[in-house]
Amino acid sequence: MEAAIMVNLMFTVFALVTVIGAIGAVLSRNTVNAAMCLLVCLGGVAGLFVELDAFLLAFLLILVYAGAVVALFLFIIMLLDVKGSLGGINRNFSTVASLAAVALIIAGVAAFLRNAVLPTPNPASVLSVGDTLKSYAELLFTTYLLPVEVVGFLLLSAMLGVIALSRKST
Amino acid sequence: MEISVLQHLASGNVWSSLWPELSLGCLALALLVLEIVLPKKSHDVISQVAILGQMIILGFVLFCCHSSDATTEIFNGLITLTKTSHIMRVFFLLASIFVSLIARVSLAKQTMPKVEFYHIVMVVSAAMMLLVESSHLIMAFVALETVTIGLYVLVSYSRESALTLEAGLKYLVMGALSSSLLLFGIVLLYGVSGNPLLAGHTLSGMHYQDLGNFLNLNPHNFLASVGIILVIAGVAFKMGAFPFQIWVPDVYQGAPTPTTAFLAVASKAAGFGLLLSLFHTVLLSYSWLVIPVLSFMAGATILFGNFAALTQTNVKRLIGLSGVSHAGFLLLGVVASATIPMALGAVYFYLFSYLLASFLVFCVMAHVAPAEDANQELSHYVGLARDNPFLGAILAIGLGSLAGIPPLAGFMGKFFVFLAAYQAKMYSLLFVAIIGVVVSIYYYFGWIKAAFFESSEQDAGAARPARTEVCWCNRLIFTLVALATLGLGFYQGALGQWLNW
Repeated sequence: MEAAIMVNLMFTVFALVTVIGAIGAVLSRNTVNAAMCLLVCLGGVAGLFVELDAFLLAFLLILVYAGAVVALFLFIIMLLDVKGSLGGINRNFSTVASLAAVALIIAGVAAFLRNAVLPTPNPASVLSVGDTLKSYAELLFTTYLLPVEVVGFLLLSAMLGVIALSRKST
Repeated sequence: MEISVLQHLASGNVWSSLWPELSLGCLALALLVLEIVLPKKSHDVISQVAILGQMIILGFVLFCCHSSDATTEIFNGLITLTKTSHIMRVFFLLASIFVSLIARVSLAKQTMPKVEFYHIVMVVSAAMMLLVESSHLIMAFVALETVTIGLYVLVSYSRESALTLEAGLKYLVMGALSSSLLLFGIVLLYGVSGNPLLAGHTLSGMHYQDLGNFLNLNPHNFLASVGIILVIAGVAFKMGAFPFQIWVPDVYQGAPTPTTAFLAVASKAAGFGLLLSLFHTVLLSYSWLVIPVLSFMAGATILFGNFAALTQTNVKRLIGLSGVSHAGFLLLGVVASATIPMALGAVYFYLFSYLLASFLVFCVMAHVAPAEDANQELSHYVGLARDNPFLGAILAIGLGSLAGIPPLAGFMGKFFVFLAAYQAKMYSLLFVAIIGVVVSIYYYFGWIKAAFFESSEQDAGAARPARTEVCWCNRLIFTLVALATLGLGFYQGALGQWLNW
């Protein structure tokens, strides 16, 4: 019983952090603040993943998105020194897009409230997928070895491309 | 996991079966080593090494590995080698060699780094081979991303031109959008196939055959149909088919000429290879949805491509839009192949005739092009046949084959596709296609007219760029390809038997 309350409490905390972070990322006028709010939001999502026992996903989210992608965003924001807000047309467009998103969310919640019972499959029939780091690693080095090698070539040619494009012409 | 289980899994990784892809990759790496090792003034050798190396690989593929009818599944179901994968290997190797040849002519007019171009072309070609060989959505997606990311670089390769930058940005945005559509479709299909409440649910929903079996058992699932539409949309971007052809004219115009050739031929063929391998395993389970969608796409693509090409004066835009219409003809063959097995052979023959004809046209474009690569106007071709009869003849054969003039290979390609469509009783689409052919002859002949029948005295004042002279070995290759285009129009037997009709 105690554990259930704890789980609920943690869910509420992480969900709140996620939602507040997302709202902050959308609403803040300062781009650096927006990126920071995105970081908070990603942290919350990672917490939710931990609660679902998806430790690897949580770890990757922190490592790749929070660690690398948001850092890249911050670099670019500071490099370009972006100030002010978007122009009028973009503002209108984003208003329409956010209204559409809100409508979709309301429709989703309404649909959920109308038939609130989700079909529950027999747990025994659900095939289990490995979710630990070890099982991922084993798959990567056996079944999916070829795609991993191909990704190596992908990264190499992407790196070469960046060098070729940024080099001064001879 | 026990070590024996690991050994069993690893024993499926038959690397030796992928030797053409591996040797292309190694050759690409060797070019980079050569760039470091060789002194700067002998860097011209590198492009020759690239072309010769690829020709040797092509020779081995053609003569040393006979194409058997057997289907072998390797890499634990990630890769399936069939007769078609052998045909497409030859296709992509030829395309890669042709693009390298065009690049030798075209890059000489520019001041860009050269070695990386050949390197990326080869890596992308190897990835295209893997793409059409893959029988697993993860493998297909990884190969497709390798192709796409390589092409991002190739499209924006001459960075100093504003049009190229615009093309690069547009291709980047459109490519990312199409990849995400495709990925979303794959995720939906995989998710639905793993739903334990549905009949025949499977954990290996990424595998084409298992996914097809699952879809056969659930023929009207809503989420699966959304997934299928998204997958088709993602592939249609690569093929340049309506309504995802919007990027084609700008990107084709801005990209360097060899990249345009690569996009027009190899990237389109890769899209069709992926579509065909998905079509006969996954998509046909939902033929009630897929056949009408693809038929509509085919008709609209033919009409859009041909009518939009009518008003173009920039030859790169013109060839791009005519490429859109060719995608439409190919789609016609793909739809027909649902019921008529001969249509598959027709599609492959069409692809080969398109490859040869496009190579001829792009070679002439590379020789005629001014230093500012994006501005290749029809007026640059005025008087070409008189000043340089060889290039004029090559251009006429290439354009005639693209237009489908008998007795060239392009005519037979169109004829076979139309025959298959007729046998599949697709009469209304056939009508649309014939309108498309008639319209296309108009703009192809506008180009030929500029080269042959307009004399340069009329616009003596207009500055025309100096044309590059054709070196003897290019002369030899062009003549061979032109003869092949002519020969395949008369006699399809060799290719026809090989394609196994």
